[in-house]
Amino acid sequence: MIGAMLRVMILSLLRDRGALAMAFLLPPTIFVIFAAIFSGATGDEMRLQVALAVAQPSALTERLESALRAEPSLRIMEETFSSEAEAIASVDSGEADVGLILASNLDDTGTAPVLILVDPAKLLAGAILSGQVQRLIGLQMPDLALSRTAPEIASIVGGFTPEQQARLDAAIAELSADDTSVGDTAGLVQTEMTGPERASGATVTYYAGAVAILFLLFSAMQSSATLIEERNSGIVDRVAIGPAGTDVVVMGKFLFLTVQGIIQVILIFAVAALVYRVDILPYLPLWLLTTTAASFAAAGLGLAVASICTSKQQAHTIATFIVLVCSAIGGSMVPRFMMPPWLQDIGWYTPNAWTIEAYHGVLWRGEGLRDIVSDLGWLLTVASMALLVAVLVSRLRLKL
Amino acid sequence: MNEALPALQVLDLRTRYGSREVLKGLNLQVAKGEIFGLLGPNGAGKTTLIRTIAGRIRPVGGAVAIMGRPVSRHSMRRIGLVPQEIALYPHLTAQENLEVFGRLSGLNRSQTQEAVRWAGEAADIEARLGERVEHLSGGWKRRVNIAAAILHRPDLLILDEPTVGVDVDARNGLHEVIKQLSHLGMGVLLATHDLDQAELLCSRVGFLRHGVIAPHGSPRTLIFAAFGNQREIIIELRAAATKPQAEALQRAGFAPSNGNLNWSMMGESNERTVQDLTSALERAGLMTREIRVREPGLDSLFLRLSRDAATAARESEPA
Repeated sequence: MIGAMLRVMILSLLRDRGALAMAFLLPPTIFVIFAAIFSGATGDEMRLQVALAVAQPSALTERLESALRAEPSLRIMEETFSSEAEAIASVDSGEADVGLILASNLDDTGTAPVLILVDPAKLLAGAILSGQVQRLIGLQMPDLALSRTAPEIASIVGGFTPEQQARLDAAIAELSADDTSVGDTAGLVQTEMTGPERASGATVTYYAGAVAILFLLFSAMQSSATLIEERNSGIVDRVAIGPAGTDVVVMGKFLFLTVQGIIQVILIFAVAALVYRVDILPYLPLWLLTTTAASFAAAGLGLAVASICTSKQQAHTIATFIVLVCSAIGGSMVPRFMMPPWLQDIGWYTPNAWTIEAYHGVLWRGEGLRDIVSDLGWLLTVASMALLVAVLVSRLRLKL
Repeated sequence: MNEALPALQVLDLRTRYGSREVLKGLNLQVAKGEIFGLLGPNGAGKTTLIRTIAGRIRPVGGAVAIMGRPVSRHSMRRIGLVPQEIALYPHLTAQENLEVFGRLSGLNRSQTQEAVRWAGEAADIEARLGERVEHLSGGWKRRVNIAAAILHRPDLLILDEPTVGVDVDARNGLHEVIKQLSHLGMGVLLATHDLDQAELLCSRVGFLRHGVIAPHGSPRTLIFAAFGNQREIIIELRAAATKPQAEALQRAGFAPSNGNLNWSMMGESNERTVQDLTSALERAGLMTREIRVREPGLDSLFLRLSRDAATAARESEPA
């Protein structure tokens, strides 16, 4: 008897392609994506985009810059800025993940000659870069490490004798020609936050946007499935012979899903504002514009999926797949700067990346309309294309 | 002038699904105020015909006119379609459903209110307007399903199996609603497998077979043309006939209609028929539960047409 039930389940699964894909194709696909993200996040593949600024180049800064540019785990931006302000601007705009300022006299022990500028939303990037810089100096420039350490030892022991000083100089000269490693360099790197002073954390602001688009997509996909119910129940047949046609069905749902999405996002950001003190009111118009564009995109995509799928089960499978994959590579689960560059590039094809970027631009960086217009443009293009697909496929279905 | 125009006129209609021709020069006319029963076996093309009338399938030949106008978005407004499924929103009340479909059929707010009142009365659902559709019984759902299709007072009402899955009382109630709507002047095209329903309700019926409607006419005329004054003699056996018994019954002109338990034939009948037949069957060792004689109906005609088609198919097969 149990065998009979087992047979039913096996045959049903084999004959329902959607369920089959869900059962066997989705898990390894999702694993590959998450493995790529998290293996990158542990440092193997994560390649931070670094804005480098050197105010006064010297032999030491040139050696360090060469070592940095040769380091495969870092992507030093092509242009070396000549001022700290330019590097800060690059980090603040999100172009670079982290900034690195080198003073000309790297061997000066009075101050920390390496300054790392960190976007508060990307704290991990600062820690990783700091570690990499110190590792590189230790590995590639042991002479610098020693020359920075020696004065401290001298002050502790009451100064070197001329003979000791001569041996030390010789050792430093020898080390500069050798690759032998010595220990960590102390007091070399200083880290500073960039960006505006805000009451809330950048991470909370980031995740408010990240979670908003995740839920927009989930709820739009789920609510759009009513389109399939209406098709199967004959409601679309009934409406199709009227003056409205199927376009009204699709457009009506599009408007509803957009309004529903806006309300959902309002609730998420209300909690962010009340509990985590994320500043929204000063940026309300652009925030609302971003929210509307993101809701449009989610609604359009949901309806496109529902119009293409023939059954609710199929729609459920495909919607789950799309939402999980888009959210994973689009930055809703893990910030994109922690992903390998190839995955970051793919991420730009998801509505998540553009939405998160727009929210972060508006709420954290305080950007204006001009700065986020490309983000909004992309979302609105996705919304229009997806809506067009939904309308045309719904019309076509009537002829089948 | 409009009164003289047929609600539906189909001329030499040809449709194709891929390379398969489904409708092959079909002709059909439904007058205003008339109920036309569209009969036919599964797969004969009833749904294709309805979809073509509703503008969903583009015919490869022939013409469809609604109130004298060819199928267009404008002329389709004269059609009310009652799908076989309950095409309603289950979480909404009957009233809310009607309001939604009123607006979707192009009526404004005040026209919709008036239409809901009128359709509620015509479909006799006024008492249930405030109830959610999901809580209504099958019969009431079917009534609301019809009401939602007549809000814009169409000239042609197409009903696809409107009484599937409802009990006898509900079915009779629905028959009254459909008759009432035809009295109001709507031409009704009723696609059904329920031959009793077609015989009771329809002023004319047509059998859709092999891509055309033939024969067609009033139920009584068609039945008389096929059987004249013959009566249908039906034997219900207590136990299934053995093979020799079945062969004997077939030699006598009976045909099985329900396995080997029910047998029927057309023939002349008088008051001695039942008595004589009972004795003859008992002598042959066949125990009967019931023998009855009745006037043939559309079901008898349907059965004959199916048998003729099966015989023709067998004869046309190469030996």
